[in-house]
Amino acid sequence: MSDASRATSQISPEAASAAEYDVVIVGSGVAGSILAKELSQSGFRVLVMEAGSGRDITVRDYEKNLERFYSEVSKDNNAPYPKSRNAPMPRSYETQKLRPGAPETSGYFVQNGPWEIDSTYTRVLGGTTRHWEGKALRMLPDDFSLRTRFGHGLDWPLAYEDLNPYYRKAELELGVSGDVEDQMYGGLDFGPGYVYPMHRMPPSYLDQMIAKDLDGTEATLDDETFTLRVRSTPQARNGIPNPAYDDGKGHRPTGAVSIHQAEMGERCQGNTNCVPICPVQAKYDARRTLFRALETGRVDLLPQAVASKVHVDAGSGRVTAIEYKSYRDADSPEHTTGRVRGKVFVLAANAVENARLMLASSLHGSSGLMGRNLMDHAYLLTWALMPEVAGSFRGPLCTSGIEDLRTGAFRRRQAAFRVGIHNDGWGWATASPYTDLDTIIDRQNKFGAELRRELVSRLSRQVLIDYMVEMLPDESNRVTVDPQYVDQLGNPRPVISFGIRDYTLEGIAFGRRLSRRIYQRLGAEDYTSYDPAAVGYMSYQGEAYVIRGGNHWAGTHLMGTSAKNSVVDSRQRSWDHENLYLAGAGSMPSIGTANTTLTLSALCFQTAEQIATDLRAASAPIKVRKSGSAA
Amino acid sequence: MSLHRITDIDELHRHLHAALQLEHATIPPYLTALYSIRPGTNTEAYHIIRAVVVEEMLHLTLAANILNAVGGNPDLTYRGFVPEYPAFLPDGETDFQVGLQRFSRDAIETFLRIERPAEAAGEGVRTVRRAKSAGALRAARVHDDSEEHFYSIGEFYQAIEQALVGFHKKQGAALFSGDPARQVTPAYYYSGGGEIIAVTDLGSAKAAIRLISEQGEGLGGGIFDYEDEISHYYRFEQLVLGRYYQEGDEAGKPSGLPVDVEWDAVFPIKPDARLADYPEGSELHAGAVAFNRYYAEFLSLLTRAFQGEPGLLIEAVGGMFRIKEMSYQLMRQPIDGTGGLHAAPTFEIPAPKER
Repeated sequence: MSDASRATSQISPEAASAAEYDVVIVGSGVAGSILAKELSQSGFRVLVMEAGSGRDITVRDYEKNLERFYSEVSKDNNAPYPKSRNAPMPRSYETQKLRPGAPETSGYFVQNGPWEIDSTYTRVLGGTTRHWEGKALRMLPDDFSLRTRFGHGLDWPLAYEDLNPYYRKAELELGVSGDVEDQMYGGLDFGPGYVYPMHRMPPSYLDQMIAKDLDGTEATLDDETFTLRVRSTPQARNGIPNPAYDDGKGHRPTGAVSIHQAEMGERCQGNTNCVPICPVQAKYDARRTLFRALETGRVDLLPQAVASKVHVDAGSGRVTAIEYKSYRDADSPEHTTGRVRGKVFVLAANAVENARLMLASSLHGSSGLMGRNLMDHAYLLTWALMPEVAGSFRGPLCTSGIEDLRTGAFRRRQAAFRVGIHNDGWGWATASPYTDLDTIIDRQNKFGAELRRELVSRLSRQVLIDYMVEMLPDESNRVTVDPQYVDQLGNPRPVISFGIRDYTLEGIAFGRRLSRRIYQRLGAEDYTSYDPAAVGYMSYQGEAYVIRGGNHWAGTHLMGTSAKNSVVDSRQRSWDHENLYLAGAGSMPSIGTANTTLTLSALCFQTAEQIATDLRAASAPIKVRKSGSAA
Repeated sequence: MSLHRITDIDELHRHLHAALQLEHATIPPYLTALYSIRPGTNTEAYHIIRAVVVEEMLHLTLAANILNAVGGNPDLTYRGFVPEYPAFLPDGETDFQVGLQRFSRDAIETFLRIERPAEAAGEGVRTVRRAKSAGALRAARVHDDSEEHFYSIGEFYQAIEQALVGFHKKQGAALFSGDPARQVTPAYYYSGGGEIIAVTDLGSAKAAIRLISEQGEGLGGGIFDYEDEISHYYRFEQLVLGRYYQEGDEAGKPSGLPVDVEWDAVFPIKPDARLADYPEGSELHAGAVAFNRYYAEFLSLLTRAFQGEPGLLIEAVGGMFRIKEMSYQLMRQPIDGTGGLHAAPTFEIPAPKER
């Protein structure tokens, strides 16, 4: 056993297969790590399986990823991480324009369309939190009862109030910086006296410029008038601790992750590199939580083990084992197969991979809903040049947004959305600043002092405003598997069918109209243009858009009130397999206009309590009668 | 007047000023070694030295908090606050000088001497004498022909703590007459190693002293301190021994992951470079002058932060990036006629006023 494996409780496949765990968790991302931490701290023995490598346990490992990102030509959101052909990841650049009638199969995903989605996820230790931005907004109370309030979508079997205490746990675990005063909209209620662990990220100069011209602007939707205001965005990034947190006990930020001393990461330094990788580890990633779990000494980590089949007892429906393929070399298809056993099993491999694994195991669910109702957010990007220098390319990617249109009676007809203001210029839309440099040198023939002047003038005035638009659950949007599409290990690849309904397109169209008004008010020059050759290009009612994915995969095993209308119950327990939990955003019947990580984290804290209750009940002493027979 | 017997509040203030100077004095040598590492190499070494620098700054800030708490006025801007390197530090056992040198085995050996755990000290506070030197710190009691030093940094702080306890017995809470608004709190200062302590009474003053004196040298030779923090001595020793310490290890026998050091991946900077080493009118000269001027501004910013504007510390963090950039600009450049030695900041800080 190497030093590194000893230090991180890594276990060999043979040893894992020989053991009997209380809980077997598939996936070391935020869902799996929270469950591992909560359950191991409650005294249970846990195995965490990770399809990717178990590296990234020291600052040096982390910085190798950083260097890889710096040197990669494509700065996509998985660029920092080594490619593995045995645990392949979707890459945004793999997304191709679809031609009618034929699926696109060149990347990891097989895409049927009609919308070719460029969303991704990350299969490494810590999961997709290794590339997430860190926005940590709560969902609104309305989002939990869409059908009741607006006549479509689905209701949750939970209300906002039920989740409130778990939202608090999640905000502590992820280390959220934010000001509750800025979150007073759309019916959000944090409870009396609540403050976030840390103060809000300071609004950027750009935010302040925009707020000056925009605050108080009115927007009317279906006879309802909304007054817009620029508000700070809560995010899982270390800021100044709030001394009032936890009844005045304050908060101590958790910094960089390493098995050895690593004193860094306790404050954001404004590197504008949050996606995919914070150079100083001020952004939360799930390794922080996983390391707390490993510290208990009750968690084994089995890396490079791709779960390939869920085995079920035909009589009871209980899961008996999870089969995996274990590899040594990320490039070589050589592998061994094994099974791990536990009392309770949790799939925490994200919405797409959870469904993929269940379907690969021929477990479609008694509702037939496994893999259906795939959701994400639809993003519309708009970009412009501010009339004066706005200090772009400084600070975290986004420090403020507009939240006032996240709910309203208009949701009977049109999708809600939130607006994000970007401090990183046009990067997301145009790959700025690299493309600007090319343009100025190659097309404008500028060099020397003139080149510098032109760069400053062009880059520091850039503003990008995104519209993150709600999508409703739709059974025809789904993940399936098809034996003809497999990866190197023979595991089926996800087959994605995804379309965007008019409800969402109405929201997109409204967002574009609003963006024109906003740029007009700011005196900014609108440079937005949508290339017909671009992935995600579509037209709606005579206007063209490019619609991009938000990497917020959700909804493939959604929760409900019965085995007929859902895959899991309100505690993420499978209706069909009583010792199986499917954890993560896949359980969410709607995702409203909040990035999914905070809410799925809250759900996992609740699920951890349920699993602990199950395990305690199962191991409660059996009363023995005098006759000797068990009661 | 004796530095080591603190009989009144002025003496206490003087000792605390000396503490500020002492805590700062290791920062230029550590920064010089740190930034001489070629960017992108020696990751472990870089982070180990960086962590120590951050903690020295924490100690500096804690000393300012104590001084503010007892009604003093921290000042880092007077002439001589930054010693002339190479300089003596007050360590009684063996006299050695601390210079500005590149990251090397020699530099780490010097750092180990600075942070060496003290032998268990007795009840009394011991001092030693050595010859006077121009670069000496004010933490010395100056005689006509020699200087009297505390036997160890630990004993220096022990003297301060004894004074605080003694004065507190007589004066009670009145000893802590400073304005609490001048205290630097965790809102304004952060570091992985230990948390800043706002000093408002004897308990918090003692906690601050404990953190300063134990974080450096370790507690009675222990590798990890009462907060599970590894002490500076053992942090540096990891570079020489090539392995990380982990909990439960014995001194000299770290059992963690390897620490790989590339001793050659450094800028070959001239040791203890002075402005005079750079030709007048050259870019190097201008760069070094600009560095010294900026460092002086940085010290005045810290002074203002310690004199009632703690929010300025957030700005000072930005200043550290500038110091790093300016260091790299010098260290990347060879000095003509030295056979390939590179330039480095000289830390000859312009300071017009006497204290």
